[in-house]
Amino acid sequence: MGRAETRLVGLSDHERQQILEETLYEERRRLESKPADSPERIQLEKLSKALVRGIRGDQIQTAVEMVAEWTHEIHGRFSPRVYRMATQVAPKALTSLLTARPRRFRDFNLDIERRLNIHGSIPHVHDLIREGTVVLVPTHVSNLDSPLIGLSLYLSGLPPFVYGAGLNLFSNPILGWWLRRLGAYTVDRRKRAPLYKDALKDYSLQCLTHGYHSLFFPGGTRSRSGEIESHIKKGLLGTTITAWQENLRTQVRPRPIFIVPVTLTFQMVLEAATLIEDHLTEHGKQRYIIDDDEFSQPAQVASFTRRMLELDASITVHFGQPLDCLGFPVSADPAERHQEASRRLRFVCDRNGDVQLDPQRDRVYTDRLAKNIVAEYPKGTTVFSTHLAAWAAWSVLCDQLGYSDPYRVVRTAAGQRAIGRTALTRQIEKGRQVVLAGSAKGSWRHHLPQTSEEILEESLDRFSRYHKTRALNAHNSEIIIEDPRLCLYYRNRLLFLNDEV
Amino acid sequence: MNVGILGGGQWGQALGRLVKKAGHSPLIAYEGKRPPHVLPSTNKPPEVCEQCDLIFVATSANMTRQAIQKARPGPHNRIVVAGRGIEPATGKWMSNVVQEECDAIRVGALGGPAPVQEILNGGLCAGVVASPFEEVRRLATDALHSTRFRLYESNDLLGVQLTSAFVPVMACLLGLASNLRGAGVGMHAMVLARGMAEGGRLARAFEADEATLWGLAGIGDLISAQAKPTNPYFQAGKALAAGSVIDGPWHMVSAILERASHKEVELPLTLGLQHMSKGADPIDIVQQLMSRSATIEH
Repeated sequence: MGRAETRLVGLSDHERQQILEETLYEERRRLESKPADSPERIQLEKLSKALVRGIRGDQIQTAVEMVAEWTHEIHGRFSPRVYRMATQVAPKALTSLLTARPRRFRDFNLDIERRLNIHGSIPHVHDLIREGTVVLVPTHVSNLDSPLIGLSLYLSGLPPFVYGAGLNLFSNPILGWWLRRLGAYTVDRRKRAPLYKDALKDYSLQCLTHGYHSLFFPGGTRSRSGEIESHIKKGLLGTTITAWQENLRTQVRPRPIFIVPVTLTFQMVLEAATLIEDHLTEHGKQRYIIDDDEFSQPAQVASFTRRMLELDASITVHFGQPLDCLGFPVSADPAERHQEASRRLRFVCDRNGDVQLDPQRDRVYTDRLAKNIVAEYPKGTTVFSTHLAAWAAWSVLCDQLGYSDPYRVVRTAAGQRAIGRTALTRQIEKGRQVVLAGSAKGSWRHHLPQTSEEILEESLDRFSRYHKTRALNAHNSEIIIEDPRLCLYYRNRLLFLNDEV
Repeated sequence: MNVGILGGGQWGQALGRLVKKAGHSPLIAYEGKRPPHVLPSTNKPPEVCEQCDLIFVATSANMTRQAIQKARPGPHNRIVVAGRGIEPATGKWMSNVVQEECDAIRVGALGGPAPVQEILNGGLCAGVVASPFEEVRRLATDALHSTRFRLYESNDLLGVQLTSAFVPVMACLLGLASNLRGAGVGMHAMVLARGMAEGGRLARAFEADEATLWGLAGIGDLISAQAKPTNPYFQAGKALAAGSVIDGPWHMVSAILERASHKEVELPLTLGLQHMSKGADPIDIVQQLMSRSATIEH
């Protein structure tokens, strides 16, 4: 809150007026449907009057009051005590969420380690947690991501992380209950006002400078198309370099900040149908928040999750190469890390070792970091049978139809969506060879059955069990692409294969 | 402010003069035993990077990597490449070459006409410095801007690098068009306009700002090259018109074509120039180009 006031005081009259006017506009749009005597509308009218009167002090005071209200909402029920307790609460809460059989804790823990495949730089992250503050930046596939990362952290012996959860997630009572108790703070993505965004960044900054390990989904929202994030948002990510410089200025032994990209891959995604539908509709491109998908039905979440966990290693969580705030890889060797730390200082300090503040420079550094995070994601991706079969089926279908525009392909008549099984297995084999070669080079990972026929069989089995409609279905010697949207969704995860084949 | 300059050639000295005129202290890193000029200089390049925050790299494009390797700039250095923007041997952007070879990430590029003799004789000129980092642009402007030299700032680093690599190709094409038997002002104008259109396509493909092509780094540099018949690129084109292949920007031509092929950009004039540099008859190439089907201009 102090930060908000300092920032507003530091702005020129014109800049402040502009931010407040934009805030007023965005908030008026958001609160259109609320009654005029609601506290939020009353506060907003206060801001409007302060803007009309043009008195600097009034404007700042009203804005600070609004930020205080928002900060309270963001902060939610998070407290350091809860954060510490979460280590004990997390496994139980997760178990109840994921199995819906709370009495069978003991069996569950044994199972989940086999079914949830966690790999990557875990020992490295353990070291970094001791030396500094760690920020996890995972890819965002499903609403199950946050609980699964929480579980992965627990299973890997890592402490829980503070993270922002969309207000809409709290509409699922079980998840909402659990999120609040793990120390999630609330992000209301309907609030587009610049003042609100600044309040969120301030909150993140405060967490980071106080040494709370944090987690952001830098994609901002679940990947609608099924693709791995190729662009990420830089607002919250930019707080890492600001927090590090603040640590340098204020702490005797400044804590460094490390960023760890995490790639999550699911063999099946619960919300696939809604997500891809949203991606394909013009309307969907503007619909940033979905609150009416499969996830709002607790029973469906629980049953889907339970079935997912019956499969071996059907979900993978990969901790990637840790990076510093500038996007440089952080070494696993402590001596090298020490050298890196002193070198890193020179990017932001002058010759006397004093930190030189330059927000524009920091934005370019954050761009660099974002680029390097995005480059890390595919390396942690696991290719599953569902992805490869969907990728192969889609390319065979496009060849057969003679066009590849996704919007046109998904509208093709059902009768035209049959492809030969032999042609499909041939294409799967082609893809499999590329996947194996890439996997050997470390470009990505895979969890595939031995032969292309087995890959097809496994994917047909998965597609038949986990969605209302089937992406692929066998019919005599043909494979029917029953739901081309789902097929497109799973295929999009392997877009990087197109460059290789 | 101490300003480092890697490269003791004429361009390095000219930059040194401009730095001095702007009220700062240049320090030139040169090779060999004898200092190139009365300006402060050293033959130990790392000293330059140690003493100066801002470094201009004033070597030829194929020597930039080596100069950086020798000078070993660190994280505190801001590097501005004052040569052509693409490394001919690898086709990489110079800013990437610098980042590959050292720890510095705050990089920029200097573009625009570089009439070295004129600058050394006190002539007036202007240039453009491009970098995504405002501090690099500001430092470079502080270091060079004076009553003799105006420096403009741009954040289109890619555009300036691309343009400064493309200008030699254009200069060569114009040298050819001005001297080809039977060619007149019509051909000259056609090559100039369509050549710049090729540059525009390239800029769009690389998501650079097309307007950079029409600024000091593009048209400004090209006019200075064309106005001086002794310009080596112009001379290389002239020689092609006479049927002989001399030293020219051929590596740059290949590097640009290679880069363009990844983006599926069509560069018929540049491609024609490459064929000519490999011995094809200019008249045949011109005929081929003229018989291409009609298209639209925009």
